[in-house]
Amino acid sequence: MKSTRPYTPPALHLISGNIARSGNPLGLKQSDCAAWAGDLHLPSQGTTILYTGCEYQMTAYLRSLVEVLKKVKFKDGLFSAFSAGGKLGTSLMKAYAKATSRESEHYNRILRMAASTLKKLGIDFAYLEEELYSGALLYEYGLFEEFEQQAKRVVRQFQEAGVKKIIALSPHSAEVFQQIYPNFISTFDLEVVPYVCVVAEALNKLDLKLSLPERLSLTLHDPCHLARSLKVTEAPREVLQSIANLDLRETALNRELTSCCGAPCETVFPELAEIAAAKRVEELATTGARAAVTLCPFCHSNLSRGAESAGKKIEIIDFIEVLYQALEASHA
Amino acid sequence: MPEAKQLFEQYYDALLRSARDPDMSLGLSRSVSAYRERKARALERFPHTVKLAEEVRHLKRECLERLDELVEKASASLKENGAQVYHAARAQDALKIIGQIIGSGKVVLSAKTLTGEEIGLRQYLEGLDNEFWETDIAQFIQQLREEKPMHYVYPSLHVTREEVARLLSKLLGREIPPDIPTEVRAIREFLRGKYFQADFGISGGNVIAADTGTIFLLESEGNIRMLTNVPPVHIALVGMEKVVPTLQDAFKVAEVTWRYAGFTIPLYVSLISGPSGTADIENTLVHGSSGPVELHVIFLDNGRSELAKDPILREALACIKCGSCLFECPVYQVAAGYYGGHAYFGGVGAILTAHVGGGLAEAAPIAYTCLRCGRCTELCPQQIDLARLMPELRHRITNAAKSK
Repeated sequence: MKSTRPYTPPALHLISGNIARSGNPLGLKQSDCAAWAGDLHLPSQGTTILYTGCEYQMTAYLRSLVEVLKKVKFKDGLFSAFSAGGKLGTSLMKAYAKATSRESEHYNRILRMAASTLKKLGIDFAYLEEELYSGALLYEYGLFEEFEQQAKRVVRQFQEAGVKKIIALSPHSAEVFQQIYPNFISTFDLEVVPYVCVVAEALNKLDLKLSLPERLSLTLHDPCHLARSLKVTEAPREVLQSIANLDLRETALNRELTSCCGAPCETVFPELAEIAAAKRVEELATTGARAAVTLCPFCHSNLSRGAESAGKKIEIIDFIEVLYQALEASHA
Repeated sequence: MPEAKQLFEQYYDALLRSARDPDMSLGLSRSVSAYRERKARALERFPHTVKLAEEVRHLKRECLERLDELVEKASASLKENGAQVYHAARAQDALKIIGQIIGSGKVVLSAKTLTGEEIGLRQYLEGLDNEFWETDIAQFIQQLREEKPMHYVYPSLHVTREEVARLLSKLLGREIPPDIPTEVRAIREFLRGKYFQADFGISGGNVIAADTGTIFLLESEGNIRMLTNVPPVHIALVGMEKVVPTLQDAFKVAEVTWRYAGFTIPLYVSLISGPSGTADIENTLVHGSSGPVELHVIFLDNGRSELAKDPILREALACIKCGSCLFECPVYQVAAGYYGGHAYFGGVGAILTAHVGGGLAEAAPIAYTCLRCGRCTELCPQQIDLARLMPELRHRITNAAKSK
């Protein structure tokens, strides 16, 4: 048995192939990734950038991909079928197209809110419309050679654009830049700050009265990578607690003891990811809060699926949406 | 390779069946809450454990630097105490050694030996026409159910009393009601008979002191005391990584193990250093007084030496098998031992399955199940950093998969 060559699941081949060809895990077109910024006139050059990593953008399509992966199971040749446009490839394409424009628009709106909140807080930043995905998934899958190649491409792009500081919108990219890139590219020395830390610091300096238009009870789902790897647990709480009309209720498993939403295994074992998400939703729902806030697009997407299978006991919203609303209200 | 792919598919089918089984979820959620309460109480009463765990963390890592030396030292001590000592390079060697000691047509009792699960000991000895019984109640139930164990410390955490009643009624040929005390009494009566018929008792070892050759065995049921004491021959099959330099060190590892497993104190801690002996007549030592006449200790390598040299994955050998990571894992909480290989569970189990318990093909689906969420590390007395180890293991898997 020891000599048997191990089997690796098709998602690895599909996703690494996509990253190599299109720069992002789902093979989205660059124009789709940058669509959210269309009319915002964000600077395309600058030392500080807002890095989306195409993650929120791909979340809209992830659900369709996962539905396909459920059907495909462990059929070999998924990648080649996809690229060759075979039967399987066609059904995948259709599934991609089915990603409702509503869902895509929802995540694009979150991205616009992220940019808007930063602007309102007086933070200057640029957005690289051609930005590449960090490669975090390749590292997670153990595809180190592929990861290193992608990391080199990403770093080259940052260098060419003169980037010095990255505001990382998702904990995945913040973690991979901060903790993994230096192991693969010894010269990597960019400053990496998670979005939530940037806004928390800015709010500390400004004397803003944040408020929600109507009373809302929320619980916080700490994303694993944010709370444990990056050790950021208080920044989101400081922000949420400073918002009037917001009732923050802690769930039992919080901060560094937060429990995972299940998303990390969704491309390999999608059904398991959904079961784990439903379980986490149950835990979050015991707070009696109307909604659970998270700070990661993958948590958001998987917990939303979990909420559906657990009977929608609680709404899943992004931290950016809450902050945006609170800033809007304080502005008025 | 279709074989490796089948392993992957079968693994996921079994895992999903478990995750969707309402009985399993109920049993698991009860076990998880009970464990959390017990562990919290144990740590509250003995708060020094946290500091002790830190000490053990360094100790176990130092030991990995000199596995061979420690095993040599423990072997010498055990021989001096009258034990017979063997070194098994691979699982096959261990089976052969034990097979030669036991032969066939014997009654053999065993207790919670993970190493036994690792090498497939029960199947092997039954294949030699021996009568083999697990004596830990959970493992006894699991033997009757013909399934794999679900946890290091609580192997049958998912089985209901109704199921136990059904199994026992079938075994004993009389009606056993689904009443827990009645069930335990029935098992006790059955096993007590076996202890006095048994030719061999097989144990593992939670930790071994090199300086004295002392094997520590932690339990609450008393089955280990019985099977290591009543049958004429005691065989201990222990992993090489279990050896620590001194008796004092061993106490520290033992205390941390039981505390993080959720015990203030296990009801019994056996310290066995050799076969029973007496020098009461003319001060001349003779082995075999009231206890066993022979003690055979087999140190099992089976990939451990190699793993101990791995600069990153060696961490897995620091695991003391308290099982606290399992109860705190979001996947284990729905899938139990189906998130694991044939002997070892969870993320650490993926590494052990790859290197000592089965190979990369068996380990691959387990490795890709880990969420890398890091919750286990927060609660692990050894702080084994699975979020860092898992990509490394997967890297080896993807490399092996690519190789011609």
